[in-house]
Amino acid sequence: MSLLLRSSTSHLRRHPWQLVFALLGIALGVAVTIAVDLAVGSARRAFEISTSAVAGRATHQITGASTGLDEQLYRTLRVDAGITAIAPVVEGYVRRDRIALQIIGVDPFAEAPFRSYAAGQGPTSGLAPLLVRPGAVITSEQTAKAIGVAVGDSFAVALAGGTRTLLLVGTIRPADELSARALENLLIADISAAQETLGMIGRISRIDVAIPDGPAGTALLERIKARLPPDATINDTRARTLQVTQLTRAFSLNLTALSLLTLMFGMFLIYNSMTFSIVQRRGIFGILRTLGVTRREIFRVVLTEAAVVGLVGTLLGIFIGVLFGTQLVRLVTRTINDLYFVVAVRGLYLSPITIIKGVVLGIGATIIAALLPAYEATTAPPRNALTRSTLESRVREMLPRLTVLGIALLLFGGLMLIAFPRLLSVSFAGIFILVLGASLLVPGVTFVLMGALRPLLGRTTGMIGRMAAGGVAATLSRTGPAIAALAVSIAVGLAVGVMITSFRNTVVEWLGNTLAADIYISAPGFASNRSDVTMDPRVIAEVQNTPGIAAISTYRNVIVQAPGGAPVRVLALHFAPQHGKTFRFKEGRPENVWAAYRDSGQVIVTEPFAYRHDVHVGSAVTLLTPAGAHAFKIGGVLFDYSSEQGIVFIDLAQYRKWWNDGGVTSLAAFVGAGANPDTVIQSIRARTSATQALLIRPNTALRKASLEVFDRTFAITAVLRVLAIVVAFIGVLSALMALQLERAREIGVLRATGMTPAQVRMLVVMQTGLMGLAAGLLAMPIGAGLAALMVFVVNRRSFGWTLHMELPPGELGQALVLAIAAALLAGAYPAYRMSRTPPAAALRDE
Amino acid sequence: MSGQQPLIQLTGVGKSYHEGDAEHIVLHGIDLDIRRGEFVALLGPSGSGKSTLLNVIGGIDAPTTGTVAIDDIDITALSERDRTLFRRSHIGFVFQFFNLLPTLTVEENILLPLELNGMKTGASARAHELLDAVGLGARADSYPDRLSGGEQQRIAIARALAHDPPLLLADEPTGNLDSETGAHVLKLLQDLTRATQKTVLIVTHSAEVIRVSDRVLRLRDGSIVEDTAP
Repeated sequence: MSLLLRSSTSHLRRHPWQLVFALLGIALGVAVTIAVDLAVGSARRAFEISTSAVAGRATHQITGASTGLDEQLYRTLRVDAGITAIAPVVEGYVRRDRIALQIIGVDPFAEAPFRSYAAGQGPTSGLAPLLVRPGAVITSEQTAKAIGVAVGDSFAVALAGGTRTLLLVGTIRPADELSARALENLLIADISAAQETLGMIGRISRIDVAIPDGPAGTALLERIKARLPPDATINDTRARTLQVTQLTRAFSLNLTALSLLTLMFGMFLIYNSMTFSIVQRRGIFGILRTLGVTRREIFRVVLTEAAVVGLVGTLLGIFIGVLFGTQLVRLVTRTINDLYFVVAVRGLYLSPITIIKGVVLGIGATIIAALLPAYEATTAPPRNALTRSTLESRVREMLPRLTVLGIALLLFGGLMLIAFPRLLSVSFAGIFILVLGASLLVPGVTFVLMGALRPLLGRTTGMIGRMAAGGVAATLSRTGPAIAALAVSIAVGLAVGVMITSFRNTVVEWLGNTLAADIYISAPGFASNRSDVTMDPRVIAEVQNTPGIAAISTYRNVIVQAPGGAPVRVLALHFAPQHGKTFRFKEGRPENVWAAYRDSGQVIVTEPFAYRHDVHVGSAVTLLTPAGAHAFKIGGVLFDYSSEQGIVFIDLAQYRKWWNDGGVTSLAAFVGAGANPDTVIQSIRARTSATQALLIRPNTALRKASLEVFDRTFAITAVLRVLAIVVAFIGVLSALMALQLERAREIGVLRATGMTPAQVRMLVVMQTGLMGLAAGLLAMPIGAGLAALMVFVVNRRSFGWTLHMELPPGELGQALVLAIAAALLAGAYPAYRMSRTPPAAALRDE
Repeated sequence: MSGQQPLIQLTGVGKSYHEGDAEHIVLHGIDLDIRRGEFVALLGPSGSGKSTLLNVIGGIDAPTTGTVAIDDIDITALSERDRTLFRRSHIGFVFQFFNLLPTLTVEENILLPLELNGMKTGASARAHELLDAVGLGARADSYPDRLSGGEQQRIAIARALAHDPPLLLADEPTGNLDSETGAHVLKLLQDLTRATQKTVLIVTHSAEVIRVSDRVLRLRDGSIVEDTAP
C-alpha cells in the first residue's frame, strides 16, 4: 500500500467513530434497499414458482369469460378436433387451519407432457392413485408435514363457508429445492374430484396447451382458435404471468422509492463523514501538497478511501438487508395477499440483480457523496497556514450560486412532473430532484435566519446566544448539510404522515358513503377485498326471508377478460332502492348515471379504471362475453379506493343476461325501521349455519375490517419512514459531533479565557437547538409541498385515485418539535463532552 | 564553498492581495540571485513579506508579477501540476511547526518524498541513513506525537533532505524550540546541507542562524533593504 493510502487508513483508524458513522450511513441505506427488493422479489418469485408449477410446460392457456369454461370445450378440442397437446385444469383455494392451499385438478391421462410430477413410466404412474378413491389428493412431503397429514389420512379443508373431506393418497418427493417450493401448499387432485370439491361441476378453470415453435405451432394455434366459443381466449402463459406480476408494479415502486430515500439520507451521512474527515486533514493535505503531491493524487486517494469504505459499508448493508428483508417479507406478503393475489412466501429469493443493485448503489452513492469533499481536499493550499476560515468564506461565497442551483433544480423537477404526467418513475425522479433542490436552499436560508436571530438572541441571552447563532452561520460547510439532512428527513416524515392521514380520512369518508347497508354477508374467501367465492342459493333465500330485513343489494364479484386477455374486475350489482344514493361520482350526474345503469345497460367504472384505461363518461369498455366481445358504454366514473386496478360496475340483470352466470358473491342488507341489526344478524346465522358458514358483518365491522387492511398496507411505509428518520438522525448526530469536536480548540480557548463548563454546555445546546429550529422551520414548507406531491402526484400516478389532502396544524407543529428535539438529543453528547474537556487538552495540537 | 552559478533567480517579483477595493502589496518587484551552495538567512519584522517570499520561491504561491527561476527553470511559467512535480523533486521544506504527518510513522514520513519521487530500491536504507544522521535511528517506528519538538524538527530536516533536493527552504525552523535545542537543530541542518552543497534559504529571527549564514537578506515592507555577509 502506498504511503498516501497508508496515511488515509491510519487517519480512519484514529477516528473510529467517524468511520462507524460513514459505514452506518452506507450500510443502512443499502440494507433498506436490499430488504425491500428482497421482500418484493421473494413474493414475486414465490408467485412465479407457484404459477409455473401450475402452468407447467404449457405455452398457452385457454381461459373463459368469467366463471371458467364449459368442460365440453376440452372434449371438443381433444376428440372432435384431435388436438392432443392439451390438458384441462380446475383450480381453486381451500384452507386447512390457517394455511391456504391451492387445489389443482388435472386429467392424469393428459398430464404427462405438462407437469413434471406426472412424469414416470406409464401415462398415469405418478398420478394413478388419484383415480382410485373419491376426494383423493397428492401433495409434496413438506406440505403434508406442514398440514399434519400422512398418506392414508382423511382430512377436512374449509371452502366457501363449508368443509370438504379429502384423502391423501400419496406424496411427491421433489427432485430439487425449486420443485419443492413450486409444490409448496399445492394439492393435486383428479379433475372430477377437484370439480366436486370446488363446486365446479361441468366447468373447468382453463385448458393448458403446448404449442410447438415454428409453422406447425402457428397452424395448431389457428386450429384451436377456430374452435373456441366467443367467450374463450387463448393467451401466451408468459404474458399472463407478467400481467399478474405487473399488478404489484406501483406497490413495489413506491417501496423502492422510500428505500432510495433512505439511501439518500445515507448519502448525506457519507457526505458529512467524508467532509469532516477532509476538513480534519486539510493540514495533512497542505503538507502533502508542499511535499509535491499533486491534486490528482490527493483526489485519487480520497476517492479510493471512499470506495473502500463504500465497499465495506455495502457488504455490511447487504448482510443487514437480508436480515431485515426476512422480517419485511412478512409485511409485504400480507399486503400482497390483502390487495393483489394469494401467495405464500417461505423461502427468500435474493437475486443477483438485487446484490448488484446494492453494490452499485452503495459504492456509487459513496463515491458521489465523496466527490465534493475529494475536490475540496485538492484545494488545500500547499502552505502551513491552513485555516477553516478560508473554507467557510468559500462556502459563503458559494451560497448565492448554491441557492440559484437549488431554485433551478426545483424548476427542473417541477417541469419533469408536468412534462411526463403518466410516467411514475419519471415522477419519482422529479420528486427526488425537487427534494435535492429544496435541500440546496437550506444553507442560504439558514444563513439569513441566523443573521436575523443573532441580534435577537444577543438581546435575550447575551453573548452566548450571539455566539450560538453566529457559530451556526460561520460553519455552514458543516451545519448546512446537517440541517438539510434533518429538514428533509423530518419533511419526508411529515409528508408521509400527512399522506397517510389524508388517504385514511378519504377512505373513511368513502367507506361512509359506500357502506350504506346495515349488514354485509359473503362466503369466506382468501383475500380481504376480492372474494369471488359464491354463496349457496339456499342461504340467499334464507337471508331474504329473515324477519327484519327490509331490502337487499345483491353482488356478483368476478374477473372477466378484455379482448386482449387482460383481466378486468367486474362487480355486478343489483341495488336495493335505498342503496347507491350516497356514492360520489367524479364524472357524471348521479341521477343520470343511475338511470342509464338500470335502464340502458350502461356501466360505471371506478376512478383508477378510468385513469389506467384513459376512459371517460361516453367512452366504452369492451369485455368478452359468451356471445363475444361487447362494448359497454360508460355512464359514470365513481370515486373508489378498493382496487388500484379499477372495477367495472354493471347492473346484475345485465351481467346475468350477457354472461349467463347466476352466482352471487355477497349481499348487503338493509334492516327495517325499528329492527336491531345485531338481532337480525343472529337470526341470519341461525337460519344459514347448517347450509353454509357465512361471513356476516354489521356495517361497523366491515368498515373496521377495511380500515385494518388499509393500516396493514401502510405498516411497511411506516417502518420505512421510521428507518429513513433514524438514518437522518444518525447523520445529524454525526455532523453535530464532528462539528463540536472539531471546535475543541475554539472551546479550549473559551474555557481558558474563563467560560465555565455550564456556559460551554449552554453554548453547544443553543447552537444545536438553533440548528433544529432551522431544520424544523424549513421542514414545514418542504414537508407540506412533498405531502401535496405524494397526495396529488404519486398516488394519482401510482394508483389513479384522487385523495383529499388534509394538513393539520398539529402535524406541522409536531415536525418543528421533532426537529428541535432530534437536534438537541444529537447535541447532548458533544455538549457533555466539550464541557468536560480540560482547556489544556483541547488546546493541544494533534 | 559557494558555486558561482545562481540556483535561484528572482526578477521583478511582486505579490499583492486585494481586500475589497483596497490593494495590499506584500512584495515590491524583488530582484535576487542566490548561488548554489549558499546558506542564506532572510530577516525582517512580522508582515514584511518573508514567508510570502519563501512560498513564492518554493512554488507554493504564485507571484503577481515577475519571474522565479530555479535551476534555470522558470517555475512561474509552469502549470500548477508541473510546479508541484518540480517542487517534489527540487525542493525540501522545513517549517516552524514541523508539519510531520501525524498518520505516518517517523520512518514513513522520511520515506514519503522518496516514494513520491519513485525511488523503490534503497529507499529504506536511505531513510535509516538519515535517521541515524539526525540521531533518531531508534525511533523509526514511533508516531510523531510521541516525539519532543526538537526530535520532530530533526525528523522534518531528514524528510526535507531525503530525496536530495538542491534547494532547502526553512521557515523559522528554530522558532518553536528552546535555545539549546534550537542550536542543536541548527547545527544539524548546517552539517547536513554544507556537506552536500545544498542551497539553503532560512527565514529567521535567530542571531545564531545569522551568525552561521553566508549571506543575510533583510526585508522590510516587501523590499530587500539589506544584502550583506555577516
